[in-house]
Amino acid sequence: MTTDSQPSARALRRDPSGGWLGGVCAGIALRYGVDRTLVRLVFVVATAAGGFGVALYALGWLVIPAGPSTGRRRLPTGRGAVEVALGTGLLLLSVLLTFRGLGIWFSDAIVWPLVLIASGGALIWRGSGTPVAATPQADVPTAALLKGETEERSREPGRTAAAISRTGIGIALVIAAGLAFLQATGALSAARDVLLAVVAAVVVLGVIFAPWILRLVRSLTEERSERIRSQERAEVAAHLHDSVLQTLALVQRSDDPQEVAALARRQERELRAWLSGRPPAGQAARLAAALESAAADVEERHGVPVEVVVVGDSDLDSNAEAVVAATREAMTNAAKFGAGSPVDVYAESSDGRLHVFIRDRGPGFDPATLPADRRGVRESIVGRMQRHGGRAQIASSPASGTEVELELPARSDR
Amino acid sequence: MRAAKPDIPALIAGLALLALGGLLLAHALNVVELSFALFAPVACAATGAILLSNGLGRRE
Repeated sequence: MTTDSQPSARALRRDPSGGWLGGVCAGIALRYGVDRTLVRLVFVVATAAGGFGVALYALGWLVIPAGPSTGRRRLPTGRGAVEVALGTGLLLLSVLLTFRGLGIWFSDAIVWPLVLIASGGALIWRGSGTPVAATPQADVPTAALLKGETEERSREPGRTAAAISRTGIGIALVIAAGLAFLQATGALSAARDVLLAVVAAVVVLGVIFAPWILRLVRSLTEERSERIRSQERAEVAAHLHDSVLQTLALVQRSDDPQEVAALARRQERELRAWLSGRPPAGQAARLAAALESAAADVEERHGVPVEVVVVGDSDLDSNAEAVVAATREAMTNAAKFGAGSPVDVYAESSDGRLHVFIRDRGPGFDPATLPADRRGVRESIVGRMQRHGGRAQIASSPASGTEVELELPARSDR
Repeated sequence: MRAAKPDIPALIAGLALLALGGLLLAHALNVVELSFALFAPVACAATGAILLSNGLGRRE
């Protein structure tokens, strides 16, 4: 059963999970398909020009109802994005000029540098997005990680050049803002002297501490690489455990050659899709459908009824995929060790979080006495949740059944 | 028969140009004194509205 609680796509709603304060800017950006940074920029500049931004934001916070932050509206790309950015900038400029003409203005020495700093800061923030290789689990198939495709992706010349030029322009705007402010306040020459002193001090300290700094940077880089490699190994191990090892266990228990052949074919298809980095054929694109599909698969393989209730829904991003994989493993364990008792799954996607409970009424077990070689619970459930920034909790005792609770923040394309 | 959907970007561009033309006409007829301080924000707003509606309406 699926209950979809998505609001109407046309309604203006605040987006608290995607915002910094009340989600007013994020909600407006989502509703009108504009980059949220631009909307924030408008509010910042309106605040600087006469304090209107704060009043408008407070009014928006009071008047606009909050909504769940599922599903993101696609932003314009390419030439459309340039036109939207230029158009918003020009409208903002016209508002500023109007304020200036009406005398609602602090001072040119403050407002224009603030505008430049806000624009430059927005560009730098957008340009400094985490590269793909920094988070091995971020939207990249593990098999692709194994083949080192992440590094190639992060080095795509077009994207890298665009990010560098955006950051460069942003830095130039911020420096220009600082210079304009110093010039307008007559402090430029004093600042030049201070700058010279700072540069001299930095050069002297740099020469002295360079070997230690270099060694520290190198060591941090190596440590980061090792951490990424270890996470990749854990992901691969968890995937192989959930797929190949489970199938081999079923093959060993089966006496029917046709069933064994069908299991082998299905596993081969899944493994080939995973190695080539593409989703398996028929994989659902939404969380609810993926959970129901996984439940149907477990039910078919193990012959135990699995009842799934999903409240809310979200896109099947990398975090949702991890939740589905951990849920599948918990359902498989419940089906295998629950002495034939039905398995109940309750999943909820709301307020930017994914929450899943998997319960059986089987004989239960003591989680503290779990053998070290049981990778299913340790790696495929608990470890997988931790690697994706979530948590897994197992409540079980002999003769009282088992409940596995999974919790994970939904990924956002902020 | 369904009525044709209006082309919003073209509509906004037309309205913006009409507003600009009206302002220039009013200036030529000495109805308003069109200074740079008045014309610059209006021109920026018109161009910005055209670009924004065009960018949002673009399907890529």
